Amino acid sequence: MSVFDGLKFRKVYSPIHNLDPRMKFAYVIAIFVVAIIFYQVIPLLVLFFMQIPFVLLARVQRQWLRSLRGAAFLAAFIFIINVVTTYFTSGYTFTAINIENSTAMTLRFIVLVESFSVFFLTTSPDHLGLALEESRVPYEFAFAFTTAVRFVPVLAEEAQTIMDAQKARGLELEKGGLLKRIRNYIPILIPLIVSAIRRSLELAEAMESRAWGAAKKRTNLYSLKLHKGDFALLAITIGILALAVYAHFNVAVPTVSSLLGF
Amino acid sequence: MALIEIKNLTYTYPGASKPSINDVSLKVEKGEFVLITGPSGCGKTTLCRCFNGLVPHFYQGELKGEISVAGLDTLKHHTYEMAKHVGLVFQNPENQLFALSIEKDVAFGLENNGVDRVEMRRRVDEVLQQTGIYDIRERSPHEISGGQQQRVAIAAVLAMEPEIIVLDEPTSFLDPLSAQKIFEVIFKLNREQGITVILVEHRLDLTAKYTNHLIVMDEGKIRFEGDPRQILSNEETRLIGVGIPKATLLYQMLKKEGLNLNNATPLSSEELADQLLEALKVE
Repeated sequence: MSVFDGLKFRKVYSPIHNLDPRMKFAYVIAIFVVAIIFYQVIPLLVLFFMQIPFVLLARVQRQWLRSLRGAAFLAAFIFIINVVTTYFTSGYTFTAINIENSTAMTLRFIVLVESFSVFFLTTSPDHLGLALEESRVPYEFAFAFTTAVRFVPVLAEEAQTIMDAQKARGLELEKGGLLKRIRNYIPILIPLIVSAIRRSLELAEAMESRAWGAAKKRTNLYSLKLHKGDFALLAITIGILALAVYAHFNVAVPTVSSLLGF
Repeated sequence: MALIEIKNLTYTYPGASKPSINDVSLKVEKGEFVLITGPSGCGKTTLCRCFNGLVPHFYQGELKGEISVAGLDTLKHHTYEMAKHVGLVFQNPENQLFALSIEKDVAFGLENNGVDRVEMRRRVDEVLQQTGIYDIRERSPHEISGGQQQRVAIAAVLAMEPEIIVLDEPTSFLDPLSAQKIFEVIFKLNREQGITVILVEHRLDLTAKYTNHLIVMDEGKIRFEGDPRQILSNEETRLIGVGIPKATLLYQMLKKEGLNLNNATPLSSEELADQLLEALKVE
């Protein structure tokens, strides 16, 4: 079940969780853009450290570190590929500048991962669905999204039940080579899919019975309102973007190697 | 005119060889508490689906006869129109809740009808309190027990302020105590707000005492309809496979052995206990 634990959401209250998801998304996109604008280590490092106050305010350090650890393998891969290709393109030598550029590429990737993970760790699916609705995404899509999230734990539980039932009948999941192991899961998947389809029919029936599609203009129990914090975040976002664009055109960003005197 | 009137209704699901409901006629008056029972596959669930137009709009298939519910012909009015008049609560509580929080789920029908936010908030809070789930309104459906989930489902249909609530075996996934609590909620709605209730149930032990209009179905037909005391003391009812309340069975056994109790057949243990106490006092 631990695999699915990460997909369960809990209601958490923190200054960051309470922010408007649209503002948070704008912030993430701004970080994304800035990370693309710069290819030097120093600004990327600044970007990296800038997320940490958000993580601490939202008290999601543990999950955040876990997601970074998940990205570590890919980051290492990016670093090595960069080092190797620059080794060949710059005449079979390792130069400090090349290593630094490779580090910057890797950092860029990490910054992207970290900012998106902060977004998803601090935005409840409920909020996200609401944001989708309010940004005029057709309600069907927003509904499909929240319902999918709602049924993840249900299906996970059901998968577990089916696994137990099939094991009780003598199915051995951890037996044989890779292909055989994959094939072992067929007796789990088929009942799971069949019951999911049956479930979706019942769900459709319940939706019909609760006046799905009655009014042209649907209303919503909740509404997103911008608070002080949201405006602050908006100001920060604009500030970062403006500063980044200014620095990009007017400031010669020094490299770490030049600062160290290589 | 009665609140629900069904005349010679016959319905066959698409692809089925024989009809699931066969020549059913039925009248339900406003404010009644109707109990429908019968063995599995007798057409109870199909009948429930007829009340709000899921049959034939959602299921298609072949329908003959007339149905009028709350003055509306369900053949001409879609399920979403009927939803304002008839609330349907299903058997499996898990598959009728789709939102990420309980209050959002309760609001679902109102949102669909385009009710404005202030009014929606008022109605949602009201029904949450009526069904005793106000304190858990921000939880997610998968975090609460089956009994609570079923209360959410009831609250959700109640929010639309229907005249009729139809419950299709609402307690078959629940333990006896949660079931009893659900029945009490339903009975209170019927008693205090005059909502017409149609309850499909196997657990007559817990529910027979609430009704004076019992319907026994078998093989798509209504076999018996009327006073539960009379129907449940009928030997044929037991043979169909209806779970006769234990108090009623015991009463019959005692009567056979010659113990003379107060004449009315009891429907619950409490009634039987009273009769026994009375009999013992006299002797």
